[in-house]
Amino acid sequence: MEFSNSCSSFSSSSVDSTKPSPSESSVNLSLSLTFPSTSPQREARQDWPPIKSRLRDTLKGRRGDDTSLFVKVYMEGVPIGRKLDLCAFSGYESLLENLYHMFDTLIICGKRDRKHHVLTYEDKDGDWMMVGDIPWDMFLETVRRLKITRPERY
Amino acid sequence: MALRLPSKVLKHILSFIDSNEDRNSVSLVCKSWFETERKTRKRVFVGNCYAVTPAAVARRFPAMRSLTLKGKPHFADYNLVPDGWGGYACPWIESMAAKSPYLEEIRLKRMVVTDDCLERIAASFKNFKVLVLTSCEGFSTDGIAAIASTCRNLRVLELRECIVEDLGGDWLSYFPETSTSLVSLDFSCLDSEVKISDLERLVSRSPNLKSLKLNPAVTLDGLVSILRRAPQLTELGTGSFAAELKPEAFTKLSKAFSNCKQLQSLSGLWDVLPEYLPALYSVCPGLTSLNLSYATVRMPDLVELLRRCSKLQKLWVMDLIEDKGLEAVASYCKELRELRVFPSEPDLDATNIPVTEQGLVYVSKGCRKLESVLYFCVQFTNAALITIARKRPNLKCFRLCVIEPFAPDYKTNEPLDKGFKAIAEGCKDLRRLSVSGLLSDKAFKYIGKHAKKVRMLSIAFAGDSDLMLHHLLSGCESLKKLEIRDCPFGDTALLENAAKLETMRSLWMSSCFVSFGACKLLSQKMPRLNVEVIDEHPPKTRPESSPVERIYIYRTVAGPRMDTPEFVWTLHKNPEIGVSKLAIK
Repeated sequence: MEFSNSCSSFSSSSVDSTKPSPSESSVNLSLSLTFPSTSPQREARQDWPPIKSRLRDTLKGRRGDDTSLFVKVYMEGVPIGRKLDLCAFSGYESLLENLYHMFDTLIICGKRDRKHHVLTYEDKDGDWMMVGDIPWDMFLETVRRLKITRPERY
Repeated sequence: MALRLPSKVLKHILSFIDSNEDRNSVSLVCKSWFETERKTRKRVFVGNCYAVTPAAVARRFPAMRSLTLKGKPHFADYNLVPDGWGGYACPWIESMAAKSPYLEEIRLKRMVVTDDCLERIAASFKNFKVLVLTSCEGFSTDGIAAIASTCRNLRVLELRECIVEDLGGDWLSYFPETSTSLVSLDFSCLDSEVKISDLERLVSRSPNLKSLKLNPAVTLDGLVSILRRAPQLTELGTGSFAAELKPEAFTKLSKAFSNCKQLQSLSGLWDVLPEYLPALYSVCPGLTSLNLSYATVRMPDLVELLRRCSKLQKLWVMDLIEDKGLEAVASYCKELRELRVFPSEPDLDATNIPVTEQGLVYVSKGCRKLESVLYFCVQFTNAALITIARKRPNLKCFRLCVIEPFAPDYKTNEPLDKGFKAIAEGCKDLRRLSVSGLLSDKAFKYIGKHAKKVRMLSIAFAGDSDLMLHHLLSGCESLKKLEIRDCPFGDTALLENAAKLETMRSLWMSSCFVSFGACKLLSQKMPRLNVEVIDEHPPKTRPESSPVERIYIYRTVAGPRMDTPEFVWTLHKNPEIGVSKLAIK
């Protein structure tokens, strides 16, 4: 593509290219933007609309959720972790589903397995436990952070 | 006949010049003016901490008393920059401690500051007076305690929207026992409780205190007690405004406020119950600044408050104010210069729309002095934008965020091209612009051509092709900062306009289609730019054509930086063998 000062060569190329309609564009850019209605569960986006974290957290609280509960999530072997608001999930299933999308790998909880990544958490006492043993509400009260272990760890 | 000003005379003249832009121009006249200017500059501003080395700054400005530094790119505010990217204050503090011991003021924005850093500041600068940290992180309340206890001449300590490891409220008790020289204290971003008695005692022994911003943990009772001890405050950030509704509590609060006859600025108001708002009525007529962005109060209560604020110049409010409330603002707040309207329901599938384009049109028509706007809403029209531009050609900052990406003019279904054309053409003094809604390449042709004074431009979900970026980079004469997200292009326009990038402070692009090959090529061709590729999930091998997640490009005389984390690729750190197939003219 050559740029020139006159507009004519460009107006033709922009006429040729199809202007993205809203739905097309959201599909094309689906790497970065998934509308809440199409994603597996109602996880609020952390980077849109462009408001600062303080306001975002305040608004979450307003929605009637029990405030937000952000925990760090690490995949073993990956130094950079993610942050997740556990209050956005209804239970273990939706949590796992979200982690699957976030880390692009199947994660299981509740049992050891040589082949799969297993989800563990650090509780209030600083102990590392298997996710899934206790009721979800109780889990929310005690969880401090999450770790996804490598397969064949145990 | 050449006239040469003796340096004494020049020095005297320069003492009247405060603006750094002017001083930068002065420096370019000739060597002797450069020398005189640099030896007299007291306030130094560095817009990008990686653009220059601390040593170079210290060397150039031996008379430096105040240093302002900015670190992370602006989009870090919206979680687009991963943790660990950089922006460390320590090297700067180390350097200044050694070379500029007379430093009195440090202002940092979006930087990583550690407790060690803060302790170093406390220990190194004997006459330290001002510490302002905005959107910083990496430190705890221990670091704050060090500043409080050691800096005997401290006047300003402001923690604005920082992420602080809060180890408890003890830090408050570290201020000197005898009277303090505090003029401004802002700890609104801390979470934990402070002892009210500590706070009361501090306020009582700070006779110069004019500005105090409390954190949400301070209750209404606490607030009343503080106000009684500091009726001279001109700026107040309240704590939590919720409490059991008791008539005595309300009376006490009302009385406390009515004694604050010099109050000009009010903020905080977390969890504010509408029933307590009337306690503020007595201060309203004197208010010039009101931040209600955490006050989830309905329109009627907001209007009751705002109609008493005839001197208001700055209003930050939630969209719960509705169009009707903004109409009231337009008629009561004739001195308004700055308006920010924040979303109360940031979900994309929200069904009730509290504000529309009409609200902003009311304010644009009624408030003649309006020059700065930040407005969140769900949809807009070209007609509204055209009206706003016509009514308010004096706009300096216009940031419109239509929350729905690609939303067209909802009445005509056209892109918002015409509207933003009117803004760019009509508002000749526009310095900052954020666009949104459905926009074609044409919109950017207009902006490139007409927005001659725009220095900062923010774009999301817009444009059709590289042409968009090309229009901006080949136009926009004053462009210094450009940040773009989720726009479907990059390579060609970037490479074609590489030279422009050296005239700018920085360019950020995330979730666009910029290829790795283009980044490499740009890096190779432009040694005075740092080209950073920020990829949290890099592909195992990097083919030339693979799109990168984010790029951050900035001009620098400091060379490549040495503190990049794993997920940041730079040519210096990872020189790859092979020449890109892309060619540039």
